[in-house]
Amino acid sequence: MKPRQKLSTRAAALMMVACACAIAIPIVVVAAPTVSRQEISEGLTCQCGCGLTVANCNHPNCEFSVPVRDQIDGMLGRGMSGPQIIAYFRGKYGEKILSAPTTQGFNVLAWIVPFAAIAAGGALVAFTVGRWRSKSPAPTPTDAPASDTDVGNGTFDPELRRQLERELRDRI
Amino acid sequence: MPLIGQLALALALVLAAYSIIANVIGARASIPSLTGSARHALWAMCAMVTVAVGALWTSLLHSDFSLEYVASYTSFSLPTVYKITALWGGQQGSLLFWTWLLTIFTSIVAFQNRRRNSEIAPYALAVLAGLAIFFLGMLNFVTRPFDLLAVVPSDGQDLNPLLQNYWMAIHPPSLYTGYVSASVPFAFGVGALIAGRLDDSWIRSTRRWAIFSWFFLTLGNLFGARWAYEVLGWGGYWAWDPVENAAFMPWLVMTAYLHSVMIQERKDMLKVWNLVLIGMAFGLTLFGTFITRSGVISSVHSFTQSGLGPYFLTFLITIVVLYTGLLLSRVKQLRTPAEFESYLSREAAFLFNNLVLVGIAFAVFWGTLFPVLSEAVRGVKITVGPPFFDKVNAPLALALIFLMGVGPLIAWRRSSFDSLAKTFASPAIFGVTTGIFAFVAGLREWYVLTALSLAAFVLGTIVVEFRRGVTARRHMVSESVPVAIVNLIGKNNRRYGGYVIHIGVVLAFTGIVASAFFKTEVKQSVKQGDSFQVGPYDLEYLGIDTSETPHLESIRARVEVRKNGKPIAMMEPAKLFYKRLQQPATAVAIRSTPASDLYVVLAGIDDQSGLATFQVFLTPLVFWLWAGGLIMALGTVIVMWPNVRERAVIAAAVRASAPFEDDAEIVPGGD
Repeated sequence: MKPRQKLSTRAAALMMVACACAIAIPIVVVAAPTVSRQEISEGLTCQCGCGLTVANCNHPNCEFSVPVRDQIDGMLGRGMSGPQIIAYFRGKYGEKILSAPTTQGFNVLAWIVPFAAIAAGGALVAFTVGRWRSKSPAPTPTDAPASDTDVGNGTFDPELRRQLERELRDRI
Repeated sequence: MPLIGQLALALALVLAAYSIIANVIGARASIPSLTGSARHALWAMCAMVTVAVGALWTSLLHSDFSLEYVASYTSFSLPTVYKITALWGGQQGSLLFWTWLLTIFTSIVAFQNRRRNSEIAPYALAVLAGLAIFFLGMLNFVTRPFDLLAVVPSDGQDLNPLLQNYWMAIHPPSLYTGYVSASVPFAFGVGALIAGRLDDSWIRSTRRWAIFSWFFLTLGNLFGARWAYEVLGWGGYWAWDPVENAAFMPWLVMTAYLHSVMIQERKDMLKVWNLVLIGMAFGLTLFGTFITRSGVISSVHSFTQSGLGPYFLTFLITIVVLYTGLLLSRVKQLRTPAEFESYLSREAAFLFNNLVLVGIAFAVFWGTLFPVLSEAVRGVKITVGPPFFDKVNAPLALALIFLMGVGPLIAWRRSSFDSLAKTFASPAIFGVTTGIFAFVAGLREWYVLTALSLAAFVLGTIVVEFRRGVTARRHMVSESVPVAIVNLIGKNNRRYGGYVIHIGVVLAFTGIVASAFFKTEVKQSVKQGDSFQVGPYDLEYLGIDTSETPHLESIRARVEVRKNGKPIAMMEPAKLFYKRLQQPATAVAIRSTPASDLYVVLAGIDDQSGLATFQVFLTPLVFWLWAGGLIMALGTVIVMWPNVRERAVIAAAVRASAPFEDDAEIVPGGD
């Protein structure tokens, strides 16, 4: 490796680490431990009409979410678990208080159908592409990949080369 | 004014009906004078709707409370800017605004295509006029903006306080522009199907319209999120509300379409799929309007609920049925021999990108409608809220980000594992390094670690691609690096503008993940002069200021923010009280930095004890969501920027699709 190349590689490595720091540090600095009240209240829908979860209700003095949050604190203090607290509120207000469908009975469809649809779509894509591949003419030796590139070795994207040649014709 | 406005709307309806008949007969019988007459009718239609909009705006600005609409959505004391924005603050006005945009875009399309696309354009214009007829029909017979009150009130009811915000001045127009402009490529798709011109000329002719629509859908969603962030006061910006979902779904499908048409333009494949995608994108814009106005699904954003739901639903179903029938009737002609060599190719990456994008759109659609389905099947009301959408979409988002890194760098037709290893080595190392660093620094959430690694990987691929282009330019032409970058983007704006958009997406994604996982919330009641700590900040409550205008009363708290003992900001969260509506509202104070946002809400003031209660959120990296969104917008502008060579290609394609108009003037790139 030439000294200049080595230098640029080191510079690139340093830049990579710097970028990694820039991305990760602000998150780490302000990261806080997860609060269980937060988790539980995220699982309940506020019934004041705001359309948000109990955790996120935007009414500071909401008559529903504020007492429910206090209740959750009290229940946690008494040693109740998350599922027990959720079950209590479900028993009191019905299924509509849950902020996501359960994973039982009819509701399981809510969770399964999106992934089943994507899996079916994936299978369809794979099947169609397979058919196209079998019908496509065999690649000739000249069918080189369009953008496999190693600029350092002096070869580069034929598309870029054609564009540059066009531009050079225009300019020169 | 009301009479002029209503008369103008009636005339516009007649002109729209005439233009459909004249366009269709003119195209079928090849009578240019008749299609020309149809064009003039469309311009006149636009002029009439403009008159109606002018009439309503005049009434709003003059507080003419004899109009039911003006009395319902404004008051004497409402600031002028919100009297202007009240045009889209209520049901009838927002429909009128929508119709106005539709007629403006239709007029522009009629002008652009006056001497080209002679086979497709008349049908496309007929489709656009058909859409206008539906909206004008609503405005003339169902929900009239110029209805008068029997008894004129002394003052109006005022605009909803949540809508009295500057983001509401630009969010709805942006979103409506995105929604309505999606109808142009859709109309051309229909036109191409009817006319039997099934090559890609309709795509090339409307490519800029599609990007224009995507640009405004992006901004519309971004501004809407920002509005929620500043106005709703819960420290978040996206709650997977049905109306938010309705705006997000067309964006997803339009994104899939913009990627998919690249394959058709390059390889003449996916013709049926592209027509399906544009049909879906357009259908979802109508679905969004249906949701907003029908009240079928409860939403915090449904400011304009009415009985329009059945009309919109009927219209939506009619369009879906007709379009599907038309598409099926042309399927055989749309089939072309597809060349596909390898799963390791850009085509394959784009196909999987489409799969994931449409998959996310479907998941959102399914979750939005599931409560209705549950009630219909089980008779039980349930809620499908953020936990569902987060869990379902989180893995799909990772897949999408991964494909965003792979797609642009992988070769067309086929690639080899060796070349992939060579191309992706540096970005992969960068991604893994980022993940390891984050892990060592203390992050343990697997999703965040994966998301950060993938975000870094994508940024790495973009840097590699820019480096490759710059090196190639410098190899061929002696240019400095900055000049080479500028020329690289300028000469190949579609490609490199796309990369700029990807940078924006990655930054926004990073902001979303960080803000979703690491938001800190503190609620504290303090007396004047007391301090409390939120993360690295000390917040001292200094006292309150009160003020009053004829429109509202406000109580503003002064909070000094200190870091390491040094004052760095004065924040003033407030409670507002709108007099006319007798409604309270919250004005949050936000101190935004690239590292984190300090978000302070004045939750309440106890007059007896003097205690002020603050709700404070510290949210990391949320700044990058907004910055990323703006970078996406910048990238879209670069992509849309006129490119001489591309214009020539479009002109050639259009010329080829209109063989009998060789002597006609070509308007290249006028799309």
